[in-house]
Amino acid sequence: MDFYLGLAQVIGVHTLLGLSAYCVLLTGQVSLAQAAFFAVGAYVAAILTVIFKWHLFAALGVSAVVSGLTACAVGFPALRVKGLMLVVATLAFGEAVRLFFFNFTYQIQAGELKIGPHGAEGFRQIRYFPEHGWSTFDVLMFIWLMVAIVMACLWWLDQSRAGAVMRAVGEDEVAAHSSGINVTAVKVLAMTIGGVIAGIGGGIFAHYTTHIEHVQFGVILATFAIAYPILGGLSNVFGTLLAVIFIQGFLIEGLRFLGDWRNLLFGALIVLAMNLRPRGFLDAGGVASLKRMLFAGKESSGA
Amino acid sequence: MDLLDLIDAAQSVADGLLFGSTYALLGIGFTLIFGVMHKINLSYAAASIGAAYGSLLLLSGFTAAPAVIVFMAAALCGGVIGALVYFIGFKFIPVANPLATLMSTVGLLLLIDEIIVHTTEGVPLAYPALYSDVVVRLGQFMLRGDLMFVFVLGCACMVLFLLLLYRTRLGIATRAVSQQPIASQLCGISILQVNVLTFVVTGMLGGIAGAMSGAAIGMLSPLLAQPLTVKGLIVTVIGGLGSIPGAIIAGLIVGALESLFQFLRGVTERDLYIMMLLFAFLVFRPGGIFAKAPGRD
Repeated sequence: MDFYLGLAQVIGVHTLLGLSAYCVLLTGQVSLAQAAFFAVGAYVAAILTVIFKWHLFAALGVSAVVSGLTACAVGFPALRVKGLMLVVATLAFGEAVRLFFFNFTYQIQAGELKIGPHGAEGFRQIRYFPEHGWSTFDVLMFIWLMVAIVMACLWWLDQSRAGAVMRAVGEDEVAAHSSGINVTAVKVLAMTIGGVIAGIGGGIFAHYTTHIEHVQFGVILATFAIAYPILGGLSNVFGTLLAVIFIQGFLIEGLRFLGDWRNLLFGALIVLAMNLRPRGFLDAGGVASLKRMLFAGKESSGA
Repeated sequence: MDLLDLIDAAQSVADGLLFGSTYALLGIGFTLIFGVMHKINLSYAAASIGAAYGSLLLLSGFTAAPAVIVFMAAALCGGVIGALVYFIGFKFIPVANPLATLMSTVGLLLLIDEIIVHTTEGVPLAYPALYSDVVVRLGQFMLRGDLMFVFVLGCACMVLFLLLLYRTRLGIATRAVSQQPIASQLCGISILQVNVLTFVVTGMLGGIAGAMSGAAIGMLSPLLAQPLTVKGLIVTVIGGLGSIPGAIIAGLIVGALESLFQFLRGVTERDLYIMMLLFAFLVFRPGGIFAKAPGRD
């Protein structure tokens, strides 16, 4: 049972990561820096709860703000370029952040042992949950509550005018610009929202794994972050959730019985999925037919 | 810093410059694929390493195969893998959907990496280093024979490649497709053919680059794929997207600086400075080294 609870935790946190990339992808930007914002959130939240003994909620709030500000600061220079240049710029930023934490040591003496991040060894002893008597189930509920809140906010954002503006920038930048949208502001805003979400996700991640180190936040995690929304489709937030369940639940855990072959199949299935459904699992057409199926009895003309 | 340190620093710059030709070749590959397809092929460096492994596999029957054969086998494997990458990751995905191709090449990167890990069981293989016993002494300096060989080979490939691109019909067709795909189609150029040939040619360059890094480091490991991807992309951007001379110069610069920073600040901080260099370029010279006068948007 604990295994499934743990898996549900992983899926929840990765959904947050995927949603942060979803937000940026809506404006047509491919950002490989989400893992870096995730790392910033993880380290900030962990330092606040472990070294400064803050409450988790306060620490998560601060980590969200710090990640958001980082994303905003990266957004301005990085969004001068687009396409491949942006991919490389954000990739380089992500690697630079990872290397920063690789060289980052800040420890204090606490009784017998030293606590705090220690360069290549990483940051151990993040024991907020056990120390405050949270059971695995409590943590799981908390994670999914956050996921639900973030998804609801993004859903609302999608339906509102702001979402339409973001999609307009993503579909055709020039047209959006000429209809009076401040393209740079929209992109930086999307990046900032993405940073905030990644910061929350990272903060939670640090606390349930209890040990973070720089290698966890490398290019692979950044690629996963954009893989979820792209595989799931950008038509709505549930695509990302679906893709996280597919990758973490099915490809990584479900195929464990295949042993060594699982890793081989992993890349191949991504390639296959992209060939068969280039616009993602839940593309606009898929959503429409799903709606027809679900609401066929109630309203024949509405959906 | 006294004289001895200065000599050591110059020595590490020279070593890096020689190794930089590998980055230059990878940069050319990324740039060319982007130039022709306007899409990113993230699996390129992994395919290069895969080609180097392929050459080992092809020649596993022979004991001590001569240098030329090893590199030719790597180029051959690179060409085949390049064509496969095109048909699996690009051909059947709609042109208007760059995100899907991005993701499919990521999938291919993971797939190639895992095929290597699976067949070699994750053990790094020794790669034949050539002329490793030759050391050229120039006063205080010494130039390692294997690195010199890699450098000369890299330069030869670049010259051949530039000749191919600017002096043959295939090169003219490639450049035409990269500038005006529709117009070139109307002139009777088959886009499919050009795309496949671009992938084959860049794949061959990549195979040689993979073999070169194998020969320079002395071994092959699937762990090389990720850093080479990052470095190749950085070289592409610093050199300016689509600029082949830019990619060559940027490759050499990145190689030299990387080695210099490793000497000055240690291996853990080395890449941090390369990233900062990239950011400086993105902010002050987003068009790359040989950018034309900046246009305003």
